[in-house]
Amino acid sequence: MWLVMCSTADVSALWAYQGLKQLGLAPLELVTAESLACASRWEHRLSSTNTGIASTRIRITLANGLVIDGSRVRGVLNRLYAPSETALQCAVPSERPYAQAEMLAFYLSWLHGMPGVVINRPTPIGLCGPWFHPSEWAVRAGRAGLKTPTFRQSARDDHRQDAIPAASEKFARHSVIAMRHEVFGIPVPQSVAKSCRRLVSDVGTEMLGIDLSFDARGEWQFASAVSSPDLRQGGLPLLQRLAQILMQGSAKGARS
Amino acid sequence: MILICGIPSETPLRMVIDRLKEIGADFVVFNQRKFADCDIWYEVEDGEVRGELRLGKHTYRLEDFTGVYPRLMDDRVLPELADEPEGSPLRNFCRSFHDTLVRWMEIAPARVINRCAPMASNSSKPYQAQLIREHGFLVPETLITNDPQLVREFRAQHGRVIYKSISAIRSIVQELSDSDEERLEFIRWCPTQFQAFVEGVNVRVHTVGGEVFPTAVDSDATDYRYAARQSGEAAELREVVLCDELKEKCLRLSAALGLEFAGIDLKITPEDEVYCFEVNPSPAFSYYEANVGQPISAAVARCLAGGVVFREEEAVLASR
Repeated sequence: MWLVMCSTADVSALWAYQGLKQLGLAPLELVTAESLACASRWEHRLSSTNTGIASTRIRITLANGLVIDGSRVRGVLNRLYAPSETALQCAVPSERPYAQAEMLAFYLSWLHGMPGVVINRPTPIGLCGPWFHPSEWAVRAGRAGLKTPTFRQSARDDHRQDAIPAASEKFARHSVIAMRHEVFGIPVPQSVAKSCRRLVSDVGTEMLGIDLSFDARGEWQFASAVSSPDLRQGGLPLLQRLAQILMQGSAKGARS
Repeated sequence: MILICGIPSETPLRMVIDRLKEIGADFVVFNQRKFADCDIWYEVEDGEVRGELRLGKHTYRLEDFTGVYPRLMDDRVLPELADEPEGSPLRNFCRSFHDTLVRWMEIAPARVINRCAPMASNSSKPYQAQLIREHGFLVPETLITNDPQLVREFRAQHGRVIYKSISAIRSIVQELSDSDEERLEFIRWCPTQFQAFVEGVNVRVHTVGGEVFPTAVDSDATDYRYAARQSGEAAELREVVLCDELKEKCLRLSAALGLEFAGIDLKITPEDEVYCFEVNPSPAFSYYEANVGQPISAAVARCLAGGVVFREEEAVLASR
């Protein structure tokens, strides 16, 4: 069994679900954040023994009767960025922040414990891959060899505004998707593609959407990165590679 | 130079400041309560980070800080803001100042004890337990569920069962009792974490800068932090010696989680099995130091004075 996990509003993930199905990935289930919020039964177990045997069990029964048994999952396209707020509405207002923290912590654990290949596996700073502050992306992109506009932050800034690299807004953005050792989307110079691959490797995740722009001299520069890009930008080549990776699975599949 | 951040009268911070004075280290303190008389900016250019921090009349180059020890309280509840309405200029400045400071710490090429990203593994106990397990420690049998019947079966299987929060939000660890049976139906609204009770001696192991400080905690309480309330008697602390292999395991675990300073909660069973419950990334070590006299604050000071280290990659990510 393969899963596409996403919000019902995630048009790009729904496109990928249809595309993966057409490419023959079966059985493939669409599991939305909203359906998880209404799951009738959750069972997540951890154990370990002196002989070094560790097991993680995940069994989710959705309201429509679909049972997601972790031991049968071979791969996941994970686009969940947060538990749906539907479930939190059951909590009294004063306990909502606690319920929210508990659900987020729970999702992080069971998603981490999913066997097989998970694109992207969750991290404590992002359920579908790391969500770094623009300053951290600037450091990492620079280290990966991408030219970056100067990023500046000060105590005089309005903290309510999203921080963005100052120079990047002036120029049109072009998006690529870096997945493992490949870059999909618009053609970019080899050196830029190499740096994008280095960035995804440095971050330690499977897939990143990387926005690029041209600086005043017409050179490619890093603008921003996200761990849940618009998959349509990668087109059919991305879908085909995604299907191949999900079919192959990974060593982690033996854990559950 | 070393930067200390927080409220200087807070015990752990005060102890580290005292030790830094004793070793003659070059350090400055950002007192959160004086934020209004401070300023900060930084910029990232070509992967390099530079900027300035003003504390009162003195301005420091951020590049000159080689060690940082943040123990920041929630800036939104600082006493200086008590009479400030939401959205006031002072409130906004305070938030922006702290956000800028913390963002800089995340990327500063300095020894930061600890950065936020590696600390985040503690935001989910069962997630962190999976990382802990990969480093050779036993973790308690754990069930997270919204099904009361599964909990009843789990209790029948293990006898004594405790329950506690999944997230980092502090909860008092409680033993599941017969009187909790009726309340079990409430878990249908939110999956809850249950664990098999592990018999044995609690041991808190502080690791910092390659040094290990193990403290045994003798208490009959389920959660020794609340021993007086739960068992009527305060917990008793004593220094213990761990074998080299276990010390090494603790150091490797802290390093793998990307933590310069950690408080590892172990339980050693009568059969000498070692269970690890969690790794605290911001340990309030003063309780242990005050009771047992272990020189933890001195080790923190030495670690801070140890010079520049480049950021270790978040081992949490790399361990996958």
